[in-house]
Amino acid sequence: MNIQRKLLDTKLKIDWLLIILTFLLMSCGIVLVYSATQNSSDVFYKTYWFRQIIYFIVGSFAAAIISLIKIDYFKRLAFPMYFLSLAGLVFILFSGGDLVKGATRWIDLGFFKIQPSEFAKLAYLIVYSHWLAKHPVSFFNLKSFAVPTILFLVPFALVLRQPDLSTALVFIAISLSCFYWVGLTTLDMFLLISPFLSVLLSISKFAYSQFFWGFLICLVTLTLFYRKLPKLVTSVFFLANVFAGYVSSMVWALLKPHQQKRVETFLDPMNDPLGDGYQVLQSMTAIGSGGTYGKGFGAGSQTNLSFLPEEHTDFIFSVLGEQFGFLGSLLILILFFLFLWRALSISKLYEEPFVNLMVVSVTSVFFFHIIVNIAMTLGLMPVTGLPLPFLSYGGSFAIASVVMVGFLLAMRYQGGNR
Amino acid sequence: MYKKASKNEEKQDRNLKILVYLMLMFFFFGVIVSRLFYLQVIQFEENFNRSENNRLRQVILRAERGFVFDRKGRILVRNRPSYQVVLQSMSLPKKKEERDSVFVRLLKIHDLEGKFLFDSLSLDTAFQRANWIRNRPIQILEDATSEEIALIEERSSDLPGVSVLIESRREYPYGTLLAHVLGYTGEISEDQLQEEAYKNYSQGDRIGQKGLEFEYDEEFRGIDGLKVIEVNAAGREVGVIEGMSKEPVAGMHLITTIDLEVQKIAEQAFPDSVKGAAVAIDPRTGEIIAMVSSPRMDPNIFSLRKRDRNKEWAKVALDSTRPLTNRAVAGAYPPASVFKLVTAGAGLEHELIRENTHFSKSCTGGFQFGARYQKCWSSHGNLNVLHALRISCDVFFYQAGLLIDMPRINEFGERFGLGSKPLGVDIPGERVGWLPDSVSFNERNHRTGWRWTRGLILNLAIGQGQLVTPLQQAVFIGSLATNQGVYRPHFMKEIQTVDAKLVKKYEPIKIREGHMKPETHELLLKAMDMVVNHPGGTGKRGAVPGVRVGAKTGSGEWKKGEKTHAWYASVAPLDNPEIAVAVIMEASGGGGAVAAPVAQKIMQKYFDEANKEKETQ
Repeated sequence: MNIQRKLLDTKLKIDWLLIILTFLLMSCGIVLVYSATQNSSDVFYKTYWFRQIIYFIVGSFAAAIISLIKIDYFKRLAFPMYFLSLAGLVFILFSGGDLVKGATRWIDLGFFKIQPSEFAKLAYLIVYSHWLAKHPVSFFNLKSFAVPTILFLVPFALVLRQPDLSTALVFIAISLSCFYWVGLTTLDMFLLISPFLSVLLSISKFAYSQFFWGFLICLVTLTLFYRKLPKLVTSVFFLANVFAGYVSSMVWALLKPHQQKRVETFLDPMNDPLGDGYQVLQSMTAIGSGGTYGKGFGAGSQTNLSFLPEEHTDFIFSVLGEQFGFLGSLLILILFFLFLWRALSISKLYEEPFVNLMVVSVTSVFFFHIIVNIAMTLGLMPVTGLPLPFLSYGGSFAIASVVMVGFLLAMRYQGGNR
Repeated sequence: MYKKASKNEEKQDRNLKILVYLMLMFFFFGVIVSRLFYLQVIQFEENFNRSENNRLRQVILRAERGFVFDRKGRILVRNRPSYQVVLQSMSLPKKKEERDSVFVRLLKIHDLEGKFLFDSLSLDTAFQRANWIRNRPIQILEDATSEEIALIEERSSDLPGVSVLIESRREYPYGTLLAHVLGYTGEISEDQLQEEAYKNYSQGDRIGQKGLEFEYDEEFRGIDGLKVIEVNAAGREVGVIEGMSKEPVAGMHLITTIDLEVQKIAEQAFPDSVKGAAVAIDPRTGEIIAMVSSPRMDPNIFSLRKRDRNKEWAKVALDSTRPLTNRAVAGAYPPASVFKLVTAGAGLEHELIRENTHFSKSCTGGFQFGARYQKCWSSHGNLNVLHALRISCDVFFYQAGLLIDMPRINEFGERFGLGSKPLGVDIPGERVGWLPDSVSFNERNHRTGWRWTRGLILNLAIGQGQLVTPLQQAVFIGSLATNQGVYRPHFMKEIQTVDAKLVKKYEPIKIREGHMKPETHELLLKAMDMVVNHPGGTGKRGAVPGVRVGAKTGSGEWKKGEKTHAWYASVAPLDNPEIAVAVIMEASGGGGAVAAPVAQKIMQKYFDEANKEKETQ
């Protein structure tokens, strides 16, 4: 009775637009996985599109149930879920897990391979929202960073150890967006990321990078003056920038040529014709050859995409670009943009910090995945191996993505109910 | 200080943040859309052509394997080009009928004598494989002759998807010469791929499997390069993608300590019908100047076509004389009378015998020990240590052995490189020797239940019952003569890059103290000298005119009724030793008669070469 009452009560709050966008994107994903795998000679590959449908159905059911869960339960379950997910990460670290391409990321259940780091992301964003909603961070109170830092470092280190750099970066994206939402100003965020910019500028081969670094230091200095942060924080940021700039260029000089090469390859995959660079070149060629209208569904993959070993997962966007062209890609990008915008706009509706934080962190995860993945297939970013939400094939990730939509629905659905 | 913001401010703040977030989204999506526009609209033609008419292909540029040289820079191992005819499955016609016609055309090709190049069964298998192996070429004719290549090339327009690749294969210009030391290469095995040591290797890599090829594989192999090429519809290269290539880095050259001229003579002097080994080293540094193991094998068989290779391989692998074994380091033999130098040395060192010591029993052709009668090879009368060594009298050493006892004798032998500690020579497969005493003898024979008795000392004192390798024997006699320490025997002199830049230079490593009292040293040198230069010495045939050679012969009994193993260990010049030679010839007779001439030729050549060098300087 009670559940039914709620359903009736809040029917108007169901976010149909978000649901429709999700289903549109999932359908496109199935079509693309189908077309990417049908030319394969491996019979197992040919069942991928069907498996993907099953994952989406499983995910949708999960999402539907999650959207009905009271917000209090999210909060209550935050820490237990977090520790459970850590247990999963520790488990694969010690069990050895299933070794794919030199990294252990999966627990094999026989019928399904679980990727604990995908679910750790979910648990992490809940626990972060829960904690930060009650304990906002501020540079004026450094102690406020203590717990968030610990919460961050443990899963981050475990995922990094797998090693799975790209998923580890997602944890950073979640943390930064949450910090931004509670307590830190836009300028604070700039200060927070400035040391990384310093490192990048000081090792880049770009002609005026030294000049830009100087400019960055000036900006940082000005910001620090303007913000009037505590002396300790001010000096830490200033020194971190100067230090990052100098030390990283010194460390860079000390690195052996092959180590430098490895970093350069990561930053610019074209440096490595043996591995990633080749894939990116193929991906760019495939996308570019799609032209404005594309080669049509199922076409083209025979000649070009069979070069790409990851076409149904990380490089699914190249299938899209080749077969559906600029217009098709644009359409998907618009869908993604609408999806993100719609998701973010939930935060406008309510004042409850937990709800807002959940919304922002989920949106950030999607945003990060979308940008990093597509930019990679276009040769704009390093090859990291982050899948594209709703489009890439992959059990754990597909389910986790739909479950995150469930989070969004739950927030929108019940955000007002205290 | 941090102020709690009012509700209104908070809302404003939130709206600002949403705006910033949206701007970020706009920015990144904008970048992606413009990149898409650039690739798909502006660069469309270029990309489309590349994907449709031309295809990209990765070609691995194999690094050339480093060469092996002798100490004077003469080539011992090099590479030769080898042509492979392959199928490029990406360029084979898609339609079945066209594919079949390529198949039929290939089948019809024959040379001038009417011999067909391909057989339908293996060609069919290759075409089957081409259906699912897309990214690498499939070999259909291995190590083709230039005539065969010409036949393919002149029909190339009718054979889309068939192309010729050049690879380099190992060539050993002197065939069996030094084969056991040089080793050979082979494709990496499944088991090796699992090993930690081979984690940087991948399937299909050819790696050193034996000898120096194995030991210095890291240095030889270099770094494979890669290029990305564009090929046209027929599979021919039309261009290279700039900036995507990685030049291969050729492997490094190994300069060995071997002297090719001496090695040649050693190989000639050592008959192929006789099993055994010969080793020549420089005792001052451990440099190995020559090494022969017989029977021999030709490592060039590993560069043959697969079918011939397997046939030849089976022949050598199944041969009961075990031609693959390097007997110079992996053959363990009783040291025979050469070991008398150890017995004598230990006695002198501990002052249990002196130059003028005569034992109570003189040699009457044998020695009564308890109920046992141990024979000597002749009756020599009552001798002192020098003459006992010269004539190799067993009876003297029976009594000496009983007096000195094995621990002292073995300790003396170990000082000069004998025993169960490996010498650490830089090729795989080194066996260690064995110097038994009462403890180790019982330990080793605990299963059979044979127990140590004092009577065993009689045998051990004359070198029957221990095990030494020919390499150990050479190291032993050499360091005995220098009295300056035992140096690790080795082949590596230098490692150089292709453009002759020095990468690594071998520095001699002292592995045993190798020292005795000067009086002992002097007497042993005198004895070794008498073996060769005294009219009644057993090693006269090892003499080299103009050089003071010292030596010790040995004739090891190993089976009743068979000829003895012939040992000869020599060193020269005695006053400043430069070369030590050990020769063992299995079941060939007396050491002084059979093995000494081999060692003599090796030394003769060595000093001829040295003199020649001196003259030219």
